[in-house]
Amino acid sequence: MAVMGADVIKVEPPGGDVARTQPPFLGDDPHPEKSGLYLYLNTNKRSITLDIRQAAAPAVLRRLYESADVVIEDSPPGWLAAHDLGYEALERTNPRAVMVSVTPFGQYGPYRDYQATDLVALALGGLLYISGEPTREPLKLGGHPSEYFAGLSAFSGALIALYHRDGTGEGQHVDVAQVEGIASAQGYSSLGHGYIHEDRKRMNAFAPMYRAKDGFVGAMFRQDNWADFCEMMGRPDLTTDPRFADQISRRDHMDELNAIVAPWMAEQPKEDVYHAGQAKRMPMGYICDPADMLASAQYQAHGYFTTLDHPVAGPLQYPGMPMRWGEDAWDLRRAPLLGEHNQEVYGGLLGYTPAELVLLRNTRVI
Amino acid sequence: MTRMALEGLRVLDVTHVWAGPMCTRMLGDMGADVIKVESARRMDTGRGEANPRGGPGTLYPDGIPGERPWNRAAHVNERNRSKRDICLDLTHPRGVEAFKRLVEHCDVVVESFRSGVMARFGLGYRDLVKVKPDIIMVSLSSQGSTGPEAAYGSFGATLEQTAGLASVTGYLGGDPTTSGTFFPDPVVAVLSVGTILAAIRQRQQTGRGTFVDMSQREATTSFIGETIMDYTMNRRAQGPIGNRDRVFAPQGVYRCTGDDMWIAISIRSDEEWASLARVMGEPALEHDPRFTDVVARRTHHDQADAIISHWTATRDAFTVMQELQAAGVPAGVAEQGSHLLADPHLNARGFWETVTHPEAGTAPFLSRPFQFSKTPGTTRRHAPLLGEHTEEVLRDVAGMTDAEIAELAALGVTENDPRAVATAPD
Repeated sequence: MAVMGADVIKVEPPGGDVARTQPPFLGDDPHPEKSGLYLYLNTNKRSITLDIRQAAAPAVLRRLYESADVVIEDSPPGWLAAHDLGYEALERTNPRAVMVSVTPFGQYGPYRDYQATDLVALALGGLLYISGEPTREPLKLGGHPSEYFAGLSAFSGALIALYHRDGTGEGQHVDVAQVEGIASAQGYSSLGHGYIHEDRKRMNAFAPMYRAKDGFVGAMFRQDNWADFCEMMGRPDLTTDPRFADQISRRDHMDELNAIVAPWMAEQPKEDVYHAGQAKRMPMGYICDPADMLASAQYQAHGYFTTLDHPVAGPLQYPGMPMRWGEDAWDLRRAPLLGEHNQEVYGGLLGYTPAELVLLRNTRVI
Repeated sequence: MTRMALEGLRVLDVTHVWAGPMCTRMLGDMGADVIKVESARRMDTGRGEANPRGGPGTLYPDGIPGERPWNRAAHVNERNRSKRDICLDLTHPRGVEAFKRLVEHCDVVVESFRSGVMARFGLGYRDLVKVKPDIIMVSLSSQGSTGPEAAYGSFGATLEQTAGLASVTGYLGGDPTTSGTFFPDPVVAVLSVGTILAAIRQRQQTGRGTFVDMSQREATTSFIGETIMDYTMNRRAQGPIGNRDRVFAPQGVYRCTGDDMWIAISIRSDEEWASLARVMGEPALEHDPRFTDVVARRTHHDQADAIISHWTATRDAFTVMQELQAAGVPAGVAEQGSHLLADPHLNARGFWETVTHPEAGTAPFLSRPFQFSKTPGTTRRHAPLLGEHTEEVLRDVAGMTDAEIAELAALGVTENDPRAVATAPD
């Protein structure tokens, strides 16, 4: 939202967003301005500090509510309301505003107060069970997929609510549950049970993966790609081999097929196979690590990675926006320092006098 | 009936398979008028084959393709609820003309062809702007419409590879791998909903439409931003760490009693470790020097896993979850399809929506990853039959006369029986 042009004011506790304490850190130095997670997630925002637990703080935040279009929060359900900062308080202060609450299980329901991590959300959302090898334990998708998915859901939820608000003047409360994001993403488990009354099992990766000379290639091809693939391997004779005539026979003779493909693939550079296959319209893939993506001509052509300077972390390359927007160029700006914008937000936007700001600071409200 | 959130928004949907259809389905659920454009020659591939030869792939109710398999395919019926459907052959000039007449009355065109296909139909952004100057066009292609790999194709599984997600997915010490679903598809779907509405908001404020050119690969890469930062900061490429976490320890997925039943457990603090120890009936573990703090627990992660596995192996997964959660420890059953549909939490929140389809029967479908206090979304109608609304839409939206509609039908432009036409190659 911030990179798209919204004025995003990030309200952090005086000790900073927890993300500031999470790795990776520049040079493995756990400094609050050197967390790669924080730096990545907070580009284009302003940062102010506020200790909501201080008696004077809720009134300060409610003044920010007055001019907000959207309030996005991720505290445990009921916590904001206990400080008179929940949706009721927002509606009272600014009925046109939208509140989006992002939590593991949502604002109501029997698991509302359950604890979750990304792994637990993947488990209860049904994605964990279907990933991994059939003979081993279910396997987590790497990184923090349920967190990111909830973030995108909050983005879309906010924009839907704003569309309605712009048409009617009516704000509302949007409830985003991490576990429902994953339950929306699993796609196969619920549908399998609903349609054929079977539980989908783990069945290895979708695309057969081969070890290439310098990494891994995902060889996914359709029926009309088979002859081209045989040609690529220098084995046109396989085109007429009945063992590999169609998807079903190839699956039935998977071991024999792999005995032919694997040794060939092991000699090929991964990107050569990827580009040669794609030139023949095979939807091939290869496993990219960050170095591969930074070196990718495609990512470079889009300017996907942008170098941003930061007063503490210095110049670093950042992933940017995943889309082009007409003729407009994205203006990616570095993440804020902790409380960097206290003066301009509390002093400028809210009109606190310098003396009042000193008082708020001395009483540890900000 | 209360007003729906996206009432008044009209979307022309030329997407197929998963990402695009899921996006427009959510728009439809929230009140937008979504018109899905297919043709007998070029159905949404999620409809499967007109004459299925059996085997894996398309899922039909109870495994039976039926008389019109394309109307019974599970995935198309899940992802196209709350829409209308028309058949227009876009390789025919009259099909293109009819499409443009619809564009005049739409806010947004969303498409997910291989980059360049819409332009070849004469329906690229430049063509559409001539018809409706403030049109918003959103392309959901594999890698965007520019750059050396713009014409490359992909599936969700190959995107997980090229976008970097697979590089951090895999068993500890093992090879990288992909997930058990096409995870990039729902990612792009949920990102695109907000993106479309951001473009609408810009149009409301400036009067300008725009062309949004999404790269599904980059959208997926955005999910591993911190992994990329580790590389740009420290030149370190993280590999797979299985079910473990880079901060918490221990964390894992442990076997329980029953058919392939597993429990996921994460320990985020010394307090949670002490709680786990108490629930396991081994309070001494709290002060065991192997596990007293997160550094020690990381060092002895294998031993912690062995102790936890030994405890869970003779226990019911749901009981373990309830006991641990009652003690404040993050724990969740690795739910299978049947568990998901019976899940008390998801059901209490009305997450599953039961829909009756005239040719595919009644089934529960997933809903949306957001709930609205004043304008709740819902499945407004079952997924349309192929071409179910062709006449209605051409008449009521494009403003065509009965004679014009009959002429298109006579030319075969609006044919809706895939068996009546030869199938076009991709």
